[in-house]
Parts: sequence; structure tokens; C-alpha cells
Amino acid sequence: MDELILDVKNVTYSLNDVTLLNNISFSLKRGDNLLVFGPESSGIGNLFDLIVRTDTGYEGDVIFQGESLKKLDYFGQLMHKKEIGYVHGDYGLISNMTVEQNISLPLEYHSKMSAADIKKHVGEIIYDLNLDHCKKLRPIDLTRSEMLKTTFARSIVMDPDLLYLEYAFEDQCPLNVKTMMNILIERSKLPDKSLIIITFYPWNFIDISDYFIMFFNGRIVFSGGKEDFLNSDNPYLLQYKNKSIEGPMVIL
Amino acid sequence: MINKLAIYIGSKALSIKAGIRDFVRYTKSIIYSLRSLRYLSFRAIYNIIINQTKFTGVDALIIVMIIALLLGGTVIIQALTSLPKFGVEGFLGNILVIIIARELGPLATALIVIARSGSAIATEISVQKWSREILSMELMGIDTKLYIIFPRIIASIISITSLIIIFDIVAFIGGYLISQTVVYIPMDVFGQTLIDSFTFKDIVAALIKSLIFGITIPLICCYYGLKPSSKFEIPIYVSKAVIRTLFVSIIVNIIVSVLFYL
Repeated sequence: MDELILDVKNVTYSLNDVTLLNNISFSLKRGDNLLVFGPESSGIGNLFDLIVRTDTGYEGDVIFQGESLKKLDYFGQLMHKKEIGYVHGDYGLISNMTVEQNISLPLEYHSKMSAADIKKHVGEIIYDLNLDHCKKLRPIDLTRSEMLKTTFARSIVMDPDLLYLEYAFEDQCPLNVKTMMNILIERSKLPDKSLIIITFYPWNFIDISDYFIMFFNGRIVFSGGKEDFLNSDNPYLLQYKNKSIEGPMVIL
Repeated sequence: MINKLAIYIGSKALSIKAGIRDFVRYTKSIIYSLRSLRYLSFRAIYNIIINQTKFTGVDALIIVMIIALLLGGTVIIQALTSLPKFGVEGFLGNILVIIIARELGPLATALIVIARSGSAIATEISVQKWSREILSMELMGIDTKLYIIFPRIIASIISITSLIIIFDIVAFIGGYLISQTVVYIPMDVFGQTLIDSFTFKDIVAALIKSLIFGITIPLICCYYGLKPSSKFEIPIYVSKAVIRTLFVSIIVNIIVSVLFYL
């Protein structure tokens, strides 16, 4: 399947006279999975402003599923956000709702499904993620992995074509989030579903990523496939992999 | 000295103007958001309306009834000590309608709602904003202005209207009970004087006040709840929400009274 799900064209994005992204271009085919990494303030966090939050104050264009995000009106932006599943390491769970209610929220707001169908569908996701024991609990009573799994369940409950994971696993025990990783691995193999993973730890996601992009100072300093990521002698990539402060990147 | 004073007054005036403009922009954006009602299924906001009505209306019932009973009694104590004893039963209904139903009922109810629910709304929303809950709702494609503010306005209108009616009834009962300690007035006579004193204008004015309070209290409190950009700003904006809603409610009460009774 060669259809592009996302096409970022010559984007320059500035905020308060600081250039955060400098002439960035990349694209993502439907079914492919992209991993974006780089040090702090490299611009990887600002992709969220463009792709998910639909800020429009940038030069260039961002095309999602054939539609320019700059041209979306207020309601178009809301509908666009519905199409992307978003998971952040800070969770953003609604504190006065239970796990079950948090996961049901997008369906209750957007879908025409009956209450019984929503309950059944959400129940299946809860079962798959081993959240049955805590489905009536509120976020305050959950462990870190349960909160992340609930956030993840909420992001996939509408079955979005693009899942955007931002620093999602950074502070998690790999054992506790194993069920979630398994679902993510299965999802990464689907031909019509795509992933964008933003992380400081690219080596944790080598198996599920097709393309790798590294940012530094708002520019792309490395891009390539799995083999390139593993074998390239790109000095930026080597410095990052070696966790060294000596190299082309000046790290403060 | 005069220059400094002029600069101070000028900068204050400019900041008030900017604040009003910002609030108008916020209100317009909510009105604009009403267009996304077509994307919203009622079940998504049903629970919020129920919870908010319970908190603002049902849970406030006891305190509203106690205050109404005390205020009704106080009004009658003042009336009985100031008015001549002979023929006082003919005035009591009038006094209660004029003071309680027209003025004190709506205003006291609004003040109780602001103190209990207004501060709670502002705090809840600012904490939700700080903990990225509102952002996460936006990222689900939820129109947060509609989802957060609209159900609170509906719940607030229902609660305040009901509370004002209950406040008035309880205050009348309080007034009647206190009056019995000084002068005997048969229940039916008291009831009849109350009914005779009520006009259609009084009912419309009370309903308009409850409608305006029901809209302005959650609107202003949500506005300030959405303002804080960091944790330490939360108490500052919650305090602003309460004080400014109080101020606006008193102004609204005066304007409606002037329009109806002057």
C-alpha cells in the first residue's frame, strides 16, 4: 500500500522568534511505522504541535490523509484530532472518571454505537490489556503501568489509522507494560495502521519501526530504515547511540 | 505625583478593557462552539449535567434552607419592630415578597452557589488544565468549550431556578413562624396576603435573574478556571473567579430590579 498517510513538506515552525523546526520534510506511508528521536529541544516535541494539535503558524504544509491541515476550520480540526490516537507519558486521564469511563469517553462523544455496544467493545480492550481488576478505579488509585495502559486503551478505542506515541514508555517497567507492547507489535504489522513514536530511547522500538528520523536543532540530521539505523556511521547517530557529549551535537 | 496617578489609572483602565475584550472573545467562542452540538451525543454530557446539578442544587439544599429560614425570620423581626402592631398582618406578605422574593432570594441563592459551586468549578477546571486533562480531551476531538462549559450552564440554570423557589418558600415559612411569636396571624390569612402581594412581574423577574445567574456564574468561573498556566496561579484565578462573579451577580441583580420595578 503506497498511499501516504502523512506528508510533511518543507515545514519551518517558529515560536517567539525561536526556530523550532527548520525546513523539515518527511512522509509516512499507510501501514508504515516511524520512529522520531533526538535530544531535548531538538524539535521532536514540536511535531506534535503540527500533526496532532494542528497549529497553523508555520511555513510549508502538513498533509494528513490527503488533506492540508492548514486549511481545516475549527470543526475540521476537531474531526482530524479524532482520527489520531494519542498517547503521552503524562497520561492526561480524566481524574473524576473511572478507567472504564475514561476509555469509553471518545466513543460516547463521537460514535453512534449503543451504550451496550460501547460497554462490550471497551470490555474487550480492558480484557486484552489486563485492566479488568481496576476498571472501576479512578486514575488516582492506579499504578503507572495501569495509567499508561488506560491511556493507550483510550487512544485505540476509536481504531484510528494513526497512533502517535510521545515519550509514552519513558518511565515504565518493561514487564508491567508487556501486554500493551504486544498489542502495539501486532498493530504495527497491520497494513492499514501506522505508528509515530517520539522517544529518547529509539533502541527500545527497533522491532516495530520501519523508518527512523533523528532531529537536532530543529533539523533532520539522520533518516533511514532499520538497517541504516543499525549500521550507519552518521556522526550524529553515533554520538546519540554512544550517549556521548562529544561529537557534532553540542549538548548543554 | 499627578502623572503617576494618571499612569496608574490609565494602565488599570487599559487592563480592564483588555480583560473585557478577552472575556467577550471567550464568550463568542463558546457561542461558536454551539455549532458542534450536532457532533455531540447527549449521553456524553448527561452524567456531567446530573453530577453538577446534584452538587450545585441538591447538595446545597440544606444550607440554602437554613439561610432562607434565618433571613425570612430576620426580615420579619425588623418589620415587627418598626411597623405598628395594629394591622401588621396586612403588610407582612408585602414585605416578604418585596424583600425576599424580589431581592434577597435570588441574590442570596446566587451568593451561596458562587461560594460553593463557583469556586469548585474554577478549581476543578484549573486543576484539569494543569494536569493536561483538558488538552487530552481536545486531542480526542472533543470540543472542550462545549463539553466542559455547556453542561455546567444547563445544570446551573436548573439548580439556581429550583433553589430560588425553595429559598423563597422556606423564607416565607421562617417569616411566618417568627411573626407568630409577636402577633397571631392565621395561616390562611398569611398565605392569602402572600398570594395577593405576588404579581406576574415578580415571577418573571425572578426567572430572568435565575436564568442570568445560571449562565454567568459557570461562564465566569470556567473562564478563570481555564486561565492558569501554572500550578501556583490556580488559587489566584480561583479567587478572581469568586470575587468577579459576586460583583457581576450584584450588578445583574440591580439591573434586573431597575428594569422591572423602577
